Amino acid sequence: MNYSELFKQLLPEAVLVVTALALLGVAVATEAKRGQPMANRLAVAIAALGVVLAALALCYVPVAADSGKSLIVIDPLARMFKGVVLALGLLAVLLPPARREIQHPGEFYALMLFALTGLLLTTGTNHLLFLFVALELASLSLYLLAGFSRGARAAEASLKYFLFGGVSAAFLLFGLSLIYGFSHSATLSGVAAALGAGPPPPLAVTGLVMVVVGICFKLAAAPFHYWAPDVYQGAPATSVALVAAASKAVGMVVLVRFLWIGFHSAAGSAAWGGMVAGWSLWLAILSAVSMILGNVLALAQTSVRRLLAYSAVANTGYLLVAMSANGKLAAGAALFYVIVYGLATLGALAVSAAVERDRGNDSPAAFAGLVHRSPWQAVALLVFLTSLAGIPPLAGFVGKFALFSAAMAESTRGGAPGLTWLVGLAAIMSAISLYYYLSVLKQAFVRDAADGESAAGFALSPAHALAVGLPAVALVVLGLFPAILLEPIARALVGSL
Amino acid sequence: MTPAWTLSSAFLGALLVLLLPVRMAAASRFIALAASLVGAVAAAAACLARLNNPAGPAWSFTRPWLPTFGINFHLAADGLALTLLLLTGIVAVAGVLFSWNVERRPRAFFAFFLTIIGGVYGVFLSRDAFLLFVCYEIVILPKYMLIAIWGSTNKEYGAMKLTMYSIGSSALILIGLVVAYAAAGGTSFDINYLASAHYAPSLQLWAFPILFLGFAVLAGIWPFHTWAPTGHVAAPTAASMLLAGVVMKLGAYGALCVALPLFPLGFAAWQPVIAGLAVIGVVYGALTALAQKDLKFVIGYSSVSHMGFVLLGIAAATHWGLRGAVLQMISHGIIAGLLFGIAGRVVYERTHTRDLNALQAFDLWRTLPGAAVAFTLATAASMGLPGFSGFVAEISVAIGLWQKFPWLVPAIAAGIVITGAFSLRALHKAFFPVRSASAAAPPPLAPLTWPEISAISLLIAVSLALGIYPKPWVVLIDDGLRSPLFHTILSQP
Repeated sequence: MNYSELFKQLLPEAVLVVTALALLGVAVATEAKRGQPMANRLAVAIAALGVVLAALALCYVPVAADSGKSLIVIDPLARMFKGVVLALGLLAVLLPPARREIQHPGEFYALMLFALTGLLLTTGTNHLLFLFVALELASLSLYLLAGFSRGARAAEASLKYFLFGGVSAAFLLFGLSLIYGFSHSATLSGVAAALGAGPPPPLAVTGLVMVVVGICFKLAAAPFHYWAPDVYQGAPATSVALVAAASKAVGMVVLVRFLWIGFHSAAGSAAWGGMVAGWSLWLAILSAVSMILGNVLALAQTSVRRLLAYSAVANTGYLLVAMSANGKLAAGAALFYVIVYGLATLGALAVSAAVERDRGNDSPAAFAGLVHRSPWQAVALLVFLTSLAGIPPLAGFVGKFALFSAAMAESTRGGAPGLTWLVGLAAIMSAISLYYYLSVLKQAFVRDAADGESAAGFALSPAHALAVGLPAVALVVLGLFPAILLEPIARALVGSL
Repeated sequence: MTPAWTLSSAFLGALLVLLLPVRMAAASRFIALAASLVGAVAAAAACLARLNNPAGPAWSFTRPWLPTFGINFHLAADGLALTLLLLTGIVAVAGVLFSWNVERRPRAFFAFFLTIIGGVYGVFLSRDAFLLFVCYEIVILPKYMLIAIWGSTNKEYGAMKLTMYSIGSSALILIGLVVAYAAAGGTSFDINYLASAHYAPSLQLWAFPILFLGFAVLAGIWPFHTWAPTGHVAAPTAASMLLAGVVMKLGAYGALCVALPLFPLGFAAWQPVIAGLAVIGVVYGALTALAQKDLKFVIGYSSVSHMGFVLLGIAAATHWGLRGAVLQMISHGIIAGLLFGIAGRVVYERTHTRDLNALQAFDLWRTLPGAAVAFTLATAASMGLPGFSGFVAEISVAIGLWQKFPWLVPAIAAGIVITGAFSLRALHKAFFPVRSASAAAPPPLAPLTWPEISAISLLIAVSLALGIYPKPWVVLIDDGLRSPLFHTILSQP
C-alpha cells in the first residue's frame, strides 16, 4: 500500500485533525481580544464545520477490505459507523455545556475533534495494537473533556473516569498481549485461525475475559459502571453527550468485531438448560446484572442526569442481551439500538442542559411546567424519554422489539426455551423503566412550575435548538420507517463479518 | 370508504388538532368531532357493505415494513373486527360530545383522545402481530396524560397505577409474541402465519398463560383488575368512557383473536382456571360495587363484573360462548360509556359530588329529569333486562357456558342478581332519593345541553338496537368466527 492510498482511507480523520489544529490557532488569536460568548460561538462553528467536512470526506473513502495484515479496514461496517460517529459527534458539538460556560473553547473543541478522530480510527480496525492506540486516543481526550469545566463535581467526574478508565485500559492491554502471546498474530483473523475449531486454550480464554471486561468498562455495563453516574452528572453536558452516544456506539462495534471475527468459536451458549461456558454466557450474566441494577437504581435518582446514567447501564444490558444470542440478526439489532439509544440520550441531555441553564439544577422538579415554558422542548423530551422507555411509534420501541425478537429467534432451536429467561427479564425490566421516565415527564406535562419559580419561557441558541430538534425528528422517522437504517446495518454486517 | 378511514381519520385528526394555532384552540373540539364522525361513518359503512356481501373476501391492505424480521403493515377487517370498529366509532363520537366543555388545554386533550381512538382502531384492524403490538402500546401514554392532567380524585396515583399495569401486561404480551415468533421459525409476524404454525405442547403450556395474562390484565381479569376502578374514577369523563368502553376491549380482543389461536393446546389446559377466575371476577366485582359510596366506583366495579362475562364466554370457547363474549364487549362498551358519561359529566359537573349520600340532597329526578330517565335506561341495560343489549350478550354467554361448564351457571346467575341489586341501589340513592317533606328545596340545576342529549340518545339507541334486533351483529360476528384462526378452538370436544 502506498501513502496516497493510506491518505485517501484516512481522509475524514485527517480533516478532523487539521480542523482541530486550526481551532487551536484561532483560539490563541481570538481569546485575548474578543469576549467569551463570541469566542465560544466561533469555536463551535469551526468544530461543526470540521465534522461536516469530515462526513463529506467519508463519502470519498474507498472500501478496503481486511487483507488479514492491514492496520486499517474500511469494510461496510466501518464506513457506516464512521458516519454514525460523525453524526452523533456533530450533535454533541452543537450541544452547549449545562452550567458553566467553557473557559477555553478553542482547546475544548479541539479535544472533542481529537476524541472523534480516535473513535473513527477505532471503528475501522481489526488489528489488536492499532485498536488499543486508537481507543486510548479517544479515551484520553474524553478524560480531559469530562473535567473541563473545572468545578468540584467536574474534577471528581474526571478523576473517577480517568482512574476507572485507566484500569480498564490495563485490563484491555493485558488481555490483548495474552491473546497475542497465544496466537502470535496481531490481527483478529489471525487469532481466529490460531483458535481453530476446537475448545479454546486457557491462555486465550483469560485474554478474552480481560478484553471483554475492558470493553464493558467503556460500555458502562454493571458491575463496571461506577464511573458513569458521576461523569453524567458532573461533566459538561457536551462531553457527556460524546461519552453517552458516539463512544458507546464505537464500543459496540469493537465488541462485535472482536467476538465475531476473532473469537466466534469460543461463543459457548447462554440458552436455558444448555449453558456452555463462553462469551455468550458471560455477556448474558453481565446483561442481567446491568438491567436489574441499572433500572432499580434509576428509580431512586433525584438528578435527571444521574437517572440517564443508570438508564445507560440498563440499556447496555439490553444491548448485551442481543450480543449473547450470538446471531447476525441480533448483532444488527444491537447496532441499530445503540444508535437509537444514543440519539435519545443525547436529546434528553440537550433538554436537561437547557433546563439547567434556566433553573440552575437538574432535579425532576426543575422540569415542572416545561410544557408551558417551552412547549416544543417538552414535546421533544417526551419523544426522547418515551423512546428510551420503548413506547411506539418511536425508534426506541422498534429497536427493543428487534433486539428481543432477534435474540429469541437466534437462540431458540426447535421449540427449546433458549434465551427466553433473559429476554423475559429484559421485557419486564424495560416495563419498569417507564416508571422513572414517566416521573420526569409528569413534572414536565402535569405539574405547574413551583411557587416562586418563574413560569416564563426561555429560548435556545440556534445550535442548541438543533441538538434538541434533530434527534427528535430522527427518532420519529426511524420509528415509523425503521427499515431505512436496520436493513443497511444488516447488509453491512453480512458484508463485513 | 374502506375501513382504513377509521385509523387515518383519528391520527390525522390528532395531528391537525396539535397543529392548530393557540388562538383557534376552541376549534379543536369541532375537528375532534369531525374526525370521530368520519371514523364512525366509515365503520358503519364497512359493516353495511359486509352485511350485503358476506361471502366476498374481507378487505385487507399489506405493505412491507421491516422485511428483515418479516414484518408487514397488514390491515384487514372481517365481520368481528368491523363490529368492534363500529363500537369504537360510536363511543368516540359520544366521548367528544361529553367533552364538549373542556376548556383547559383543549388541543392537547383532543389530540390525546384521538390518539387513543386511533390506536384502538389499529389493534382491531391489524393482522400483523408487530403492528397490533404497536397500536396496543400507542394507547398507553395518552391514557396516562388524560388521567394525570385532566383527572380528579387521586389522579396522579390512579394514572401511574393504570399505566404500570398496562406496560407490565404489554411486557408479558411481548414475551409471548417473540416466543411464538421464534418457535414458528423466526420468519414472519403475520398472525395467521403464527396461528398456523405448530408449537410443541410443552411450549404452549408455559407460553399461553404469559400471552393470555398479558391481554387479560387489560380486560380486567380478577385478581389483576384493581387498576380499573382506580383509573376509571380518576379519569376525566371522556377518558373513563374510552377506558371502560373500548380500551378494556383491546385486552379481550387480544385474548380472543391472538392468544387463543396461537396456543390452542395451552388454552385447553388452562381453560378451567380462566373460567374460575372469570366467575370470581363476575361475583366479586358485583359484590364490591354493592358496597361503594362513590357513583363512579360503582360503575368501575360493575365494569370488572361485566368484563368477567366476556372472559367467561372466551373460557367456554364454544360458538355461543365466543359470540356472547363479543356481544358483551359491544354491549358493555356502549353501556359503560353511557353510565360514565352521565355520572361523570352530566351529574358531577352540576353537583360537584359523586357521593351517593350527598347526591340525595339534589333530588335529581326533579331537578335533572332527563339525566334520571337516561340513567334509569342505562341501569336497565346494565342489569341485562330483555330489550337491551346486555340481555342478548349475557344469555349467549350463559348458553355457551352451559355447554362447557354447566356447574358454573348458578354462579353467574348469582352475579346477575347482585348486579341488579347494586344497580338499583345506586339508581335509587343517586336519582330517586326518599326525602322528608321538611328537607330544604334542592338547588336548581342547569338543564341538559345539546351535546349531552345527542350523546345519550346515540348510546341508548345503539343499546336498544342491539337488544331488539341483534341479527346483523350476530351475522357479522359469526363471519369473524368462521376465520381459520378459530378452527382448532371451536372444533374441540
